[in-house]
Parts: sequence; C-alpha cells; structure tokens
Amino acid sequence: MTAFPLNPLEDDFPGKHPENHDHTRSETIVPDDEWLLRRQFAEDPEKACELLFRRYYVNLCNHTIRFVHSREVAEDIVSEIFTAFWQNQTFLHVTTSYRAYLYKSVRHRAYNHLKWQVRFQHSADEPVHLSESPSPHEALQYSELHQKIELIVRELPAQCRRAYLLKRVEGKKYDEIALEMKISAKAVEALVSRALSRLRKELSAHWVLFIMLFFC
Amino acid sequence: MKESVIRQLLFDFFEGKTTSIQRKMIEEWLAESPNEELFYRYLDEWENEHPQFGPDQEIALDRFRSAMAGGNGTGPHRAGPEAERTSRLGQWLWLAASIAVITMGIAFQKQILYKSLESGPGKMVTYRLSEGTEVLLNANSTLLIPRFGFLGGDREVQLDGEAEFKVKHTRSHDRFVVKMGDRYRIEVLGTEFVAYSRARGKRVFLKEGKVKLGLPEGRQLYMKPGNLFVSGRNGSYRMTAPADTRPYTAWKEQTFYFNNTLLSDVAQQIGEQFGTEVRIPDTLLAQRRIGGIYKADQVDDLLQILSELMQIEIIQKEDHIELAIPKP
Repeated sequence: MTAFPLNPLEDDFPGKHPENHDHTRSETIVPDDEWLLRRQFAEDPEKACELLFRRYYVNLCNHTIRFVHSREVAEDIVSEIFTAFWQNQTFLHVTTSYRAYLYKSVRHRAYNHLKWQVRFQHSADEPVHLSESPSPHEALQYSELHQKIELIVRELPAQCRRAYLLKRVEGKKYDEIALEMKISAKAVEALVSRALSRLRKELSAHWVLFIMLFFC
Repeated sequence: MKESVIRQLLFDFFEGKTTSIQRKMIEEWLAESPNEELFYRYLDEWENEHPQFGPDQEIALDRFRSAMAGGNGTGPHRAGPEAERTSRLGQWLWLAASIAVITMGIAFQKQILYKSLESGPGKMVTYRLSEGTEVLLNANSTLLIPRFGFLGGDREVQLDGEAEFKVKHTRSHDRFVVKMGDRYRIEVLGTEFVAYSRARGKRVFLKEGKVKLGLPEGRQLYMKPGNLFVSGRNGSYRMTAPADTRPYTAWKEQTFYFNNTLLSDVAQQIGEQFGTEVRIPDTLLAQRRIGGIYKADQVDDLLQILSELMQIEIIQKEDHIELAIPKP
C-alpha cells in the first residue's frame, strides 16, 4: 500500500495568506471555511473545480471504498461525481457547503452501487438525486452500513478474506492471487465467490431493515 | 455540546464504537441544521486521518481536467476571445480524445447524457430509436441511449446484456457505435448484428453488412457476415464462422438452443435470461451435457423440461433453485 497523500491544498490556498484574513464570516455558528473557494467559483469555475478536486478527491475515495471495496469503483464514483458537478454547474446551486454536497453524493452513489451489486438489479446508473438530502437518521445509517460490511469481511475465514481483498480491493487477477497464495486459480475463484455470497447473504438480511428504515 | 466532545463522539461513531444511547444523542444533535455541516466536516477529517488506500490524485485530476474541457460542450466556462478559446478547446479535445480511448470516457457523462432502456427478467422489448434503428432487447438487459436524441456524428449507445440491432444507414453516413464495457465497442454504418455483453464476457454475431470491432488496448477487428466474435480472458478472443448460427439468435424466439451444452452453462443462461439463480452443488451433475431446442417463456417451463429429460430434481430454496440427482 502506498503512503497516502495528505491534502496539500491548505498551502497554496489563498485563505492562508494574512491579507485575506479580514473576510466576514457568515452568521452560522459553523465557521465557513469554504468562503474563498466559493469566491473562486464566481471568478473562475474551472480553476475552482480543480481546487475542490485537489481538496476532497483522496478523502472521498477513502470514504467510498468502505462501501464498494474496490479501488477502481471508488475512484470512478468520485470522478463521476466531480464531472457531473462541473457539467451540471452544480456549484451554482448548492445551498450547503461543497463538502457536505460531495459527501452526500458519493455516499448515495456508493449505496446505489452496492444495492445493485448485492441485489443484482440495474440501478447503478440512476442519476444522483441532489435534492435527496439524508435525514439525520439516514446519515448515520450510511456509516453503519460500511461498518457492517467491514464486520462481515472481518469475520470471513482467513484464506477467504485474503483472496477477497486481493481480488476486489487490489483488483488482482485470479492467477496472480493463486501464485501469491500458492493455491490453484480455481480455488481462488471459489474463495472469492464464497466471500461474495456471504456478503450478499448477510447484507440482504441487513438490507431488509435498512431499506425499510430508508424508504418508509 | 462542546465542540471537542462532539468531535470525539463522532469519531467514535464513525469507527462503530458508540453505544446506542450515544447514537441517539448524535442523531438529536444532527437534527439541528447547522450541525449537518459539522457532521460532514468531521467525517472529512476522520477520513483524512484514517486512509484506506492512496488513490493517484494527479492521474485522476488529469482525467477530470479533460472531462471538463472536452465532454459535450455544456461546460459553463465560455468567456474569452473566440479564437483563443477554439484553439485551446481543440488542444483539450485532442487530449481528451486520446485519454478517452484509454479510460472509459463515456462513463463520465453517462448519467446526464444517457437514458436507459431496460427489459426485466424473462421479457424481451423492441425499441425503435429516433433515427430509425431497431433494437430487440433480450431479457435482463439495459441499453443506454442519448437522452436528447442523436445530435449528428456518431450514434453511440451502451449495452449491458444482449440485443439484436438493425441499424439504419443514415444519409450522412453516421457511424453507429455500441459500447459494451471493458473497452469493447462495435462500429457500423448500417447492418444487422447480435451483441452480447454480460458478466460472462462479450459476444458479437454479425448477420448482415460489415462491422468494425474495437477491442481493449486499441486493437481493431473487421467482421464479415456470419462471423462470430467471442471474448476470452485477459483480452484474448476467438473469431469463427459457425455453420450453425441458431445458438446466437435463439433467444429471439424465446427459445433455448443447447448443443452438447454443459448443465452448468444452462444454469448460467437461466440466470441471465430470467434473473433466477440456479445452483448445481453436485459437480458430476453440473458436467452432464444436454442438446436440443426448447421453447420457454418462463423459468418453470425450462426447468420442467430439464427435470423430465435428465431425471433430475428441482428444489426451490429460499433465494435460488437447486438442481440435484434424486435420491433413490
């Protein structure tokens, strides 16, 4: 695993310079740390999108992978959110902070992806519903969902878990994993599919509850 | 609540270490509107301190830049002198095009630009696209088509599942492009072909005309009528001219065509067609073969045929169907 890059943005962010410190803060109790970013959006949206990307991309990917357990899928989801953000000119309409908007969007997308994966329904292409702001209860449920996934994977038999993580998270091929684990490719395949079906089964059970709470 | 307290509480919660009473407290705290912002701020801080992996931000940013510059031209940045913009746009487009070949260009814009035509389990649907092309979508399949019609130039659609296309030749000779995921694509002018793109792999059967296939890694392949393309693992493929073409078009008559077909393969086909999972725990049984042409509108029809023909038992489990050899 590579060392994770910390967000370097704070340094080249104009807000850190003293001459910019006299800006007025908004009325809410929450300090508005995106004020400069918003001003950048008014001046040069393209540049601002880039800044936003630099600031949140890695953290959002880290959040998304908790749900989807695949580096590739996580990066795709986050990239798609940013692209839609630009193409739909979402930055003109967001009423929350960009951060809250982005986190809500990736969570919703990741959830849709998972739903599709676990229940084999084609709903991964549903557009993100921007207006769909999660209630406090739902916001907490998102966190509980990725904890549940983690728990299921952690309770898999050791070999099974290892094969699953190499395949899904690292995106390795069956024969590469076979070589690494010193077992046959067929055996790796069996281990991965056992892990997946366990995940499917346990999440489906969890799901009934989750869906009910979510949509009722 | 003090900010440092709530921060600790949220961090504990994100890690799954809170009691149900604390959870209730967080939920109530979150219900006060300015706190939602704080929630996501702390979530972001927590993610920053608990990295899962190290995505390559620079590569991703490059892709994002080209998605911003290229794409469909609905980007908002439209200021500046016309000439400068065109040349800059041209540059970006070139870059975008070359990167798009390597990446999955279309996926970025998918949700905005495309709408999906879907067929449920066991149901075929016929669609006529705006420019005249006819598509017969097999069960359990999805076709993404441009939401606002084809705007001149390439006519692009994306297939997940199986479909027969009768492509209309346009006056301006616009290409019709079927993307099949994993960087497989079919390019045609006007022709008839059957495309299959599911979890098991990709398959293209050309009935009439001529098509160009784009394969991963930028390779290209031309197909002639009667040719069958089947993708293998790791980008390998086979191109044949089968004497019997019925297996590739049988689904149109809601027919299953088996020719010395493994029962395990039959089980997979049932899953693809009807969305019903069929398992065969007995590996010897899974390796038995079957031949013949069977008409089946519903999963039960086919299972009944199998049961009688092969003298096997059909067991309805909670979420799947199991095939087994009856115990004597």
